[in-house]
Amino acid sequence: MSERRFAAARLDEIEAIPVTEMTLRWLPIRRHFGIRAFGVNAYVAKEAGDDVVEEHTERTNGHQELYTVLKGHARFTVAGEEIDAPSGTLIFIRDPGVQRAAKALEPGTTVLALGAKPGEAYEPSAWEDWFLAYAYADAGERERGLEVLRAGLEQRPDHPSLLYHVACFESLLGQKEEALEHIRRALELGDDVLRENARTDEDLDPIRDDPRFPA
Amino acid sequence: MSERPFEVARLDEVETDAQPGRHSWRRVRSHFGIDAFGINAWTATEAGQGLIEEHDEVTGSAGGHEELYLVTEGRARFTVDGEEIDAPAGTLVFVGDPASKRAAVAESEGTTVLVLGGKAGEPFAVSEWEESSVALRFFATGEYERAIDVLQARPQTAGVLFNLACAESLAGRTDAALEHLTRAIELDERFREYARTDSDLDPLRADPRFPVGP
Repeated sequence: MSERRFAAARLDEIEAIPVTEMTLRWLPIRRHFGIRAFGVNAYVAKEAGDDVVEEHTERTNGHQELYTVLKGHARFTVAGEEIDAPSGTLIFIRDPGVQRAAKALEPGTTVLALGAKPGEAYEPSAWEDWFLAYAYADAGERERGLEVLRAGLEQRPDHPSLLYHVACFESLLGQKEEALEHIRRALELGDDVLRENARTDEDLDPIRDDPRFPA
Repeated sequence: MSERPFEVARLDEVETDAQPGRHSWRRVRSHFGIDAFGINAWTATEAGQGLIEEHDEVTGSAGGHEELYLVTEGRARFTVDGEEIDAPAGTLVFVGDPASKRAAVAESEGTTVLVLGGKAGEPFAVSEWEESSVALRFFATGEYERAIDVLQARPQTAGVLFNLACAESLAGRTDAALEHLTRAIELDERFREYARTDSDLDPLRADPRFPVGP
């Protein structure tokens, strides 16, 4: 966390992080400034057709979300309904269970996403850790990615998805014992989706034949 | 509060508090009924206008928030703890320390700043100034009795009591106005200074009970 009392940056000075297996490019604003009170990120499309909001719900975090189209033109799909969203459009989604996604209609389309859970002190979302970790891995820096995940795990030792991703990284880095222990705990604490992922995830292939592998 | 799972609005459609010669305030948070974080937008109606009044987040009715400002249109000049920041559209200014003094001036008409806020380590609660500010709309339209109703329903902090005194003064309720003004000053001495110059209190000034000397 920054010791500075304040800081300024241009949106285009914050490094856009490509998110694995998606066309999403993430500007980690919250992380950049060390904001602790609410979640805030932006997504920038390189091309028309790119994702600017990945399809997801907020069931895990329970967040209310407000999206603001800052630049360009996006098309949102919320609860199955399409919303034309030129620059200046605000979309507020109260219900965490609602499915949401958005695609850019123009290159450079930029969407600001703001989120927090009502009635609770804000805690940074764990997905920030694995978005960043996979970006490092994709850039050939898997060990640096694992450091990010382990730092996250220190904050949230029982987070099933974090445990799962740590296991994947350790598996690929040949850290077999740690990987087996983390995947065991991940599936013990996690849901069926995680268990299903573990069955087919190639990242876990290096440890799959071990008799201790839980899936 | 709406039952729909989502709501859509254009920023320039969100209701504003436009007063002549003043910036307009778009109440994004209350428009949607957001109760997880603070968000508002301010738009300058002319160049050179004060867009973010100088304030910190610890004094008076402030919420103790971390604040993130984002210039979405035009160009602003921020001053944070005496340091100037040139902020064209696309600039983010994060003020993490609630004690930092911050202000911004618009360099061009239409300059718009989004302000996001929340308190680290605590669930979001609407800042007292935002709750009370609903009353200021009724000042603008001369509906002082409605302003009084709003302010009486708020926790009676010094700031609320001062504004209540102003509304009562303008509504001709001299006794109540003097009582509330006196209590505001007892709670926070700074309101003695404000009382000296605030024209809302002019109807009370000749009264011997007025708590401020000339």
